Amino acid sequence: MDWNCIIRSKLKLAALALSLTAGVASAEELLVGAEIPLTGSLARVGSGMNEGISVAVEVFNKTNGKHTIKVITADDESAPAKAIAAVEKLAGQGVVAITGGYGSNNIGPASDAANKLGLPYITSGGVDDSLTERGIKTFFRINNTAGYRKAMVGLLADMKVKSASVIYSTKEATADLAKDVQKELTATGMTVGMHAFDPAITDFKPIINKIRLQDKSEVILMAGYENDYVGILRAAKVLKPDVKAMIGVWSLATPKMVADFPDLMPSVYGTALLPFPAEFKSADGKLFADAYKKLYNKEPDYLGQFGYVQSMILFEAIARAADKGTLKKGGVAEELAKTDRETLIGRVRFNDKGDNINFVHRMGQHQNGKIAIVWPSDAATGKMNFPGVPW
Amino acid sequence: MSELILQALYSGVLQGGSYALIALGLALVFGTMKVINLAHGELVLLAAYMAYMVESKLGLSPLFAIPLALVLVCTCAVLVYFLVSLIRKDRELNSLILTYGIGIILTNAVLLIWSADVRSTSSAWFQDAVVVGPFYSMRSELLFFVVASVLMAGLWWWLSRSWYGRAVRAVSSNRDAAKLMGINPRTTEIVSFVVAGILASFAGVAIFSYGVIQPAFGHALTVKAFIITVLAGIGSIPGVMVGGLLLGIAEALTVTLASSALQELVGMALFLLVLFLMPNGLFGAKARRG
Repeated sequence: MDWNCIIRSKLKLAALALSLTAGVASAEELLVGAEIPLTGSLARVGSGMNEGISVAVEVFNKTNGKHTIKVITADDESAPAKAIAAVEKLAGQGVVAITGGYGSNNIGPASDAANKLGLPYITSGGVDDSLTERGIKTFFRINNTAGYRKAMVGLLADMKVKSASVIYSTKEATADLAKDVQKELTATGMTVGMHAFDPAITDFKPIINKIRLQDKSEVILMAGYENDYVGILRAAKVLKPDVKAMIGVWSLATPKMVADFPDLMPSVYGTALLPFPAEFKSADGKLFADAYKKLYNKEPDYLGQFGYVQSMILFEAIARAADKGTLKKGGVAEELAKTDRETLIGRVRFNDKGDNINFVHRMGQHQNGKIAIVWPSDAATGKMNFPGVPW
Repeated sequence: MSELILQALYSGVLQGGSYALIALGLALVFGTMKVINLAHGELVLLAAYMAYMVESKLGLSPLFAIPLALVLVCTCAVLVYFLVSLIRKDRELNSLILTYGIGIILTNAVLLIWSADVRSTSSAWFQDAVVVGPFYSMRSELLFFVVASVLMAGLWWWLSRSWYGRAVRAVSSNRDAAKLMGINPRTTEIVSFVVAGILASFAGVAIFSYGVIQPAFGHALTVKAFIITVLAGIGSIPGVMVGGLLLGIAEALTVTLASSALQELVGMALFLLVLFLMPNGLFGAKARRG
């Protein structure tokens, strides 16, 4: 064996060692922060989103093969000041981006703090338009008021009704949605009665009575949360207004409502990504459903699906940035901005304000202990039971 | 319009009875010890979750949770008393901080045990409509309005006729003078905490039967109870009933005649107005003397 041969084989060995070392270095564990309300008034929705984030970690680490993600969770206690503190704490722990956030009033200051720290922030928990109007280049959102409005207005158009009463919580997201829906419905010539309510209200009978005796609308639209829907539907069951449909938005057409309030739900409509029992047709959907059932032993709900989608999009962007070596140079936000892919909630593509321009929700209806998608027609899994109310 | 107002008055009366039931325990402890138990709402909530447990796990009516709630909530109430009694200095002020902390601990314990999900009874019997002429209500609302009225009458009788009730009033009026009369203030204070626990137990089961519960709900209950206690005037049990009804009716009429978004605002405005015009409340000590 001559010297050249020895040198060549040593160089080959060195190259192999280097490539192995490089391989190990690139397969580093990437830290991601999850700022979520796990206590306080938003604990319920925050916990739902957290489940989706955990499922995303499970699926990403199992399927990526190169990078692994570790999520550090910080409870923002459903309070804006605590949300800022949570983001700052996560930044101190070395996270490369933030997923989570619930409530536009918490997400606003939290994403501002993340932006100042140079951390991309992705959410599905705040639909207020002012969040994207800020023009922050590190802020991304996969859902928005427009998507919910299109679904509600589309359903009403299919019903061909001429009048509606809107009962809405004075919270920012619900009030904005209600006003947007009113504007669009009024423009089509419909008569719309508006009834704002304080989130602390527990007795909805006086409002329902006004609709029954004064508005005399064909349908009632509800923009609130689970506790509000239960109160409204119970009041309506007592007073039995002469309406053709009860239509809500988020947190209503869910497996949880089917299980917990079966007597209140028949024929009630709400936004829903999937029918119940869930039918996942795509490979991504099946991966999500299997991991969700393995981790939580229950049917996935919309909060989990949104949390999963926002986190998977973020993890994939982080992985791409890591491959390009731009992780610490603003690469994650750049990769997020380039996102264009099919997900469980439809195609996701962000505009220059970080909003998902493709987001349109679907409408589901509670039918015989199940949820059928009834709008839009191309995604429908069942026929609309109209007119139909729970009483 | 008259049908709307009649229904608003009826809803307001029923809601007022519910408010009064929640506030009674707080008013009693406030009257006896000058301690504002800021964990009172969480005690009510604990009873509500007992009702949820009994209904969801045992398949029984929430009413069967009352004995279990009585044991648990009264035990917690006595524990709160012992912690408060450890305060040696500025008890009125320091007990606020202590009971606020206890409330946070209880809220998080409820969150850990029962999760953040919205809970309510699934019993159709409680939710069935009772219609009398132009008046509409759920059966549970009517049932617990009657229960609240009976409990209030019982409490009023106990305070004015029984030995322990008189002892509670004596300690409330002048602790040292009561001691000289052979009354053990400590025992009397424990009794008032236990009675507050009994009232909180009934209030909790009532809330579960006609409303919805969540772990973060306790604080809102305490605030509502505090408003009614101040409206009523310290130590006035009939005042609590009147204060509760006044608040319930004011809120229902606001929804009917103006906007439901103003309901809470009107409640707070009423609270401030009474404080401004009658600092001792509607039935407070000075008002009674007058």
